[in-house]
Amino acid sequence: MTVLDNRVVNDASDAEAVDPRDPRVRLGHLLDEGSIRLITPEDKSGVLAVTGRVEGVPVVAFCSDARVQGGAMGGEGCEHIVHAYDVAVRERVPVIGVWHSGGARLAEGVESLHAVGRVFAAMTKASGVVPQISVVVGPVAGGGAYGPALTDIVILADNGRIFVTGPDVVRSVTGEETDMASLGGPEPHSKRSGVVHIATKNEGEALLRARQLAVLLGHQGRMRGDIDEVDFGSLLPDNPRRAYDVHPLVNGLLDEPGVELHAKWAPNIVTTLGRLGGRTVGVIANNPLRLGGCLDSTSAEKAARFVRMCDAFGVPLVVLVDVPGYLPGVGQEHDGIVRRGAKLLHAFAEASVPRVTLMTRKAYGGAYIAMNSRSLGATRVFAWPTTVVAVMGAVAAVRILKRRELAAAPEEERSAIEARLAEEHEKVAGGLDRAVDLGVVDEVIEPAKTRGAIARVIAQATPARGAHGNIPL
Amino acid sequence: MAEVHAEMVANVWKIVVSEGDAVEEGDTLVILESMKMEIPVLAEDAGTVAQLKVAEGDVVQEGDLIAVIE
Repeated sequence: MTVLDNRVVNDASDAEAVDPRDPRVRLGHLLDEGSIRLITPEDKSGVLAVTGRVEGVPVVAFCSDARVQGGAMGGEGCEHIVHAYDVAVRERVPVIGVWHSGGARLAEGVESLHAVGRVFAAMTKASGVVPQISVVVGPVAGGGAYGPALTDIVILADNGRIFVTGPDVVRSVTGEETDMASLGGPEPHSKRSGVVHIATKNEGEALLRARQLAVLLGHQGRMRGDIDEVDFGSLLPDNPRRAYDVHPLVNGLLDEPGVELHAKWAPNIVTTLGRLGGRTVGVIANNPLRLGGCLDSTSAEKAARFVRMCDAFGVPLVVLVDVPGYLPGVGQEHDGIVRRGAKLLHAFAEASVPRVTLMTRKAYGGAYIAMNSRSLGATRVFAWPTTVVAVMGAVAAVRILKRRELAAAPEEERSAIEARLAEEHEKVAGGLDRAVDLGVVDEVIEPAKTRGAIARVIAQATPARGAHGNIPL
Repeated sequence: MAEVHAEMVANVWKIVVSEGDAVEEGDTLVILESMKMEIPVLAEDAGTVAQLKVAEGDVVQEGDLIAVIE
């Protein structure tokens, strides 16, 4: 497929009756006014591909034509998508797909299957090379579902539905009674499956989020020298055992509130793209409000995918640590917390981008290691003075280490002895001073000087990006 | 009507509201204790506490009903 048509698409508003499913209408809402150039013909293929701009940043975009056979993917339409990917990779620009497609065209048989497979291959080859964003605005099934799933970020509008097989097939095979929304709507995909990174109230908001993300990833900016400080000193509760919401810290570190991915799935870890000093960064933060901030199998997987995406596109990472450990439980172990937790270790240890860790309160055990510790190659590790670094809490530790001594003590004295032993243990085995002496924490910084400290490290670090794709972990 | 469930195994450390109380979105209903952390359970919607299914000292399992907000 070659570039066939470079004429400017007229504003869709002059058409007599505007069909909201018209790809020109949808792409018109996605891209800057007057910026659209067709790179495939307007035909009955079910796909329209264009180049355009988002806040001036060049992108490639394509959109299903749901007016033709429900946007089903045939040989020709799939070639349009493959062509769009060729252009995006050649130009090194983000590619945005707007999806509303029932999957492979039944009438074309194996030809359409082959064509859909070629789309998957093009997406995979482009993975980690150019940012790929999918916006699902209507039902997508089969090939239409796996297309978005192979990309870096999936946004689902309120009318979007994603499934491999629809409610009728489910009913006939398993006997389960379900409908499109409860099978593959925003509720299950934003909270349970993790298929969707962002669910929105309407199509317009979905396209707006895609624009924000395309600019964040496609135009990352340079770190400014002057950084306004924010005093985070009052953010932590006085009681070190009390949980709190980490979002004010995440958004306060950024110039303005960022775009959170997977906000409702595995909410015990927060993954947000935003700008610090004008430069795009990825923030990963334990959220003590949910599950106490513990790492579990889904949160480790969510964070690992985010780390690898940022690394692939050269987005520096800021890691905010307040983690009491890995979540214990039979369910967790059987759910593969060992296998899925290993993904986070692998992702951080592999990452080449500048990555700064800030410990705010607790950094315990295996979860301390997993949260971008010095040992995994953190560029710099900061800690607030409130930080405790340890294998486990001191009381829990002495209950194991001094089990015999405690058991031999008279019961009424036991808790006093336990407290004394815990205090001694903390002096010998733990605490921030030891971590600083060892060099696993570089510097203890004040909450009021955090933004500048993190920004300076990123600004001075050698820019780099990982040479790998972004497999949807 | 919104049901509030426990996210994880925990001890019920403190009950903050009573049945019949009006709550705003984000208000703390009860405070759980788990992993040496005190974890507040918040109302996801504004409304009235219709039922409170736990008492201080109870052990809740993941998914257990804590409260119903109407």
